[in-house]
Amino acid sequence: MVRFLARRLVSSLLMVVIVASAALLLATASPGDYVATAGGIGANQQRMARERVRLNLDRPPAVLYLSWLAGAVRLDFGTSLLYQRPVGALVAQRAANSTLLAAAALIIAALLGLPLGVFTGSRPTGLAPSIVRGASVLCLSVPPLIASILLLALAAMTGIFPTGGMTSLASPADGWSWWLRDLAWHVPVPAMAVGLPLAATLERVQSQALADALAEPCMTAALARGVSRRRLLWRHAWPLSAKPVTAVLGLIAGALLSGSFAVELVTAWPGLGRLTYDALGARDIYLAAACASAAAAFLAVGILGSDLLLAIVDPRVTIAPPARGPTAP
Amino acid sequence: MIGRRRIVLGIVAMVIVAAAVAFWRTRRLPAGAPGSTATSHRGGTLIATLRSEPPTFNRYSGNTYATALVNDLTQAPLVRINQLTQAVEPWLADRWTRSADGRQYTLHLREDVVFSDGHPFTADDVAFSFNAAYDAKTASVLGDALKVGEQPLSVSTTSPHEVVVTFPQMYGPGLRLLDNLPIYPKHRLAAALAAGTLATAWGTSTPPNEVAGLGPFVLTRYEPAVRLVFERNPHYWRVDAGGQPLPYLDRIAMEIVPDQNAELLRLQAGQIDLLQDDLRPEDYVPLKREADAGRVRLMDVGTGLDMHVLWFNLGPPASADTHRAWLQRAEFRRGLSHAVDRRVFARTVYLGAAEPSWGLVSPANTVWYSAGADRPDYDPDRARALFASIGLRDRNADGQLESESGVPVRFTVLIVKGVGASEKGAAFLRAALARLGVTLDVVALDLSSVVGRWTAGDYDAIYNFLLTDPDPAANLDLWLSSGSSHVWNPRQAQPATPWERDIDNVMARQAGTIDPAERRRLFEQVQRTIAEHLPAMSFAIPHVYVATSTRVASFTPALKRPQVLWNADEVSVIASGAR
Repeated sequence: MVRFLARRLVSSLLMVVIVASAALLLATASPGDYVATAGGIGANQQRMARERVRLNLDRPPAVLYLSWLAGAVRLDFGTSLLYQRPVGALVAQRAANSTLLAAAALIIAALLGLPLGVFTGSRPTGLAPSIVRGASVLCLSVPPLIASILLLALAAMTGIFPTGGMTSLASPADGWSWWLRDLAWHVPVPAMAVGLPLAATLERVQSQALADALAEPCMTAALARGVSRRRLLWRHAWPLSAKPVTAVLGLIAGALLSGSFAVELVTAWPGLGRLTYDALGARDIYLAAACASAAAAFLAVGILGSDLLLAIVDPRVTIAPPARGPTAP
Repeated sequence: MIGRRRIVLGIVAMVIVAAAVAFWRTRRLPAGAPGSTATSHRGGTLIATLRSEPPTFNRYSGNTYATALVNDLTQAPLVRINQLTQAVEPWLADRWTRSADGRQYTLHLREDVVFSDGHPFTADDVAFSFNAAYDAKTASVLGDALKVGEQPLSVSTTSPHEVVVTFPQMYGPGLRLLDNLPIYPKHRLAAALAAGTLATAWGTSTPPNEVAGLGPFVLTRYEPAVRLVFERNPHYWRVDAGGQPLPYLDRIAMEIVPDQNAELLRLQAGQIDLLQDDLRPEDYVPLKREADAGRVRLMDVGTGLDMHVLWFNLGPPASADTHRAWLQRAEFRRGLSHAVDRRVFARTVYLGAAEPSWGLVSPANTVWYSAGADRPDYDPDRARALFASIGLRDRNADGQLESESGVPVRFTVLIVKGVGASEKGAAFLRAALARLGVTLDVVALDLSSVVGRWTAGDYDAIYNFLLTDPDPAANLDLWLSSGSSHVWNPRQAQPATPWERDIDNVMARQAGTIDPAERRRLFEQVQRTIAEHLPAMSFAIPHVYVATSTRVASFTPALKRPQVLWNADEVSVIASGAR
């Protein structure tokens, strides 16, 4: 187990470095740069040249990359060109906000998607399962951007939830309990926008997996032995269907960040998605690299979590390396 | 029977939901909304939005709109341009005199003015601010704009409340230039300037209470990517006509909302009072409905000062393209101008909320606009004739014009991706030209790539928003052939064409005289030359709309951003529920 975790950690680290390097090199190689974007059309060329020297952007891409890599080894990921602050602190702050949103969305997805998947998977026909399936298809079809705007419009119309943002204007002196309640009031709209398509995905996967499990001969045998339908569903079929759902859940957790990209923009959630958008828009190469590495780290954690969960739900799955030696013919 | 009961229950449930929604909506209506008075109320909080957060609080190193807005709220210049009249008015300097040769101004500074931290404001702060702007290590974004003929202004202090500003040469706009320079506190930043670190001072990680200024508000809270909060500056020096201290507002909160749709929803929901960005044409109808219902206030401030402009690449790399020499011809550009029905353009691209335009100066710029300049109106026959005059004809009856060498008449226009007015405008131009047999390829790129292509001279034409100062002498970079903003052929060592040489000469005289009538006459001449050669042209200028909540009581919107907060100290809100 320890060897497995160590190996996974090393490969995750490698993935983060590769993704960050690729982001930095691509951002450097693409036409234009931070200085040109900030200056716009008509900016003074001499001034722009001075700025490039000041920000070391006049160096060749290879030199720029090696210098960044040397800093990254010391956990110094550079200074944001746009915000003139160390990118490490900027990304850490926004990643925490994104993690909060992702966790809330994952909870919504799991709480809605799994029970509904069991419901539709155990009832192949009927009006209610058809409505749930239809709603799932609808949630999967609507892009997160549109879903966010629709939910915001609903929030604006009803006034139940705020139309975006993470906190209210009231002073922080109002105390922690007030702040937590305020945060809880702001989370549902963006979390629903991110979570509903994921819930629909889980519902579809769970439904299919459960239907497959119920079709196994062992289920017929259990019914023949007099096991009640409810016990059969929850005690026998559901655990059997958990394997594909767990695998998808892990991938979903890892990909939550990219899913929340548009939602964060529309709902003014101060997360990593917005920071990435700002970094790419401004050609802030250091910030873009750091955001990309944070996204890769999210994905790595999601995949690792998925592997561990899979091992828990299915004892046949081994996380040890495959045994070497002669294989059976 | 059961089916009927379900239907009845469903209808009852829908009625209950509809009633609940209606209740919530009516509950949000501000009391007495349609009859809001224009009188000024003291106190209250104004909640506005910002599309992006400021990268720095330091105006000397940041040139984004957000940084400039923070600066407008927290700092003050020596003189201010009144955005309604475009006149220069006293601000930190309460009066001034001009020398006989017109180059030297002696400014008297207001006495008993203190910074927000209580430190007295003196002439030393003015001298410090000029030094900071011109400091080589700081490389301030304000430095170039504070130069005349590429030379800095000379500043000397003659007493704690008097400074002498000497221009290197006679300069028409005079003190108008100083509106760009916020006076920063020497006692706070002198050490940074001496250490060469002023450019990084007052970054967004600076505790807000360290940012002192002479503006109406002080920054008290900055929540990254969420909001900025400004409180009334207790030491602010201005009073209203009735002797009441300004500003009226206790607090301004700037919510950072990157998406324009979300911004509108917040206004409609009554959660914000003011939008910072110009309204999109498609937002007008829903907001008008809300305004008619008394839920928001929508004002048409008038035709804007700035516009989208199409310009051609007349620089050396393009002029070397012998296969498409027609792209360099004024006849082609004039033909293109005749090919566009500007009234339909205004209706299509801006949904009618725009006025047709031709040149680079808006009719809203009443001081400088010349109605006498030629305006090539919609005339497809004239356009065809002009194209034919330079050898562009349909030689093989395929509906497409070809040049004398048989090359199809086709060129590319670059636009910035994601800008609705650019995309719609370019699509309209493509359709208009296609009717005359000219193929226009529209290429949408991000801003950085467009800037890169423009800088390298690697383009045929660009259709982009052109932001200018209302005073032409403040835009010499645009008009002079040596200017870096002379968009169609920047930074020329010598004027490439006789008409550009003429403009250089006339603009040099225009900027070098202080006689307003003479300046107007000379600039009319420049506009006529531009209209004749059409290196750049516009098609429509959108109206400027301001949308606020009905809580905003007194404000005087301007055409330039920030339309409402340009005089933030005089804005007030009606007291209402808790914010």
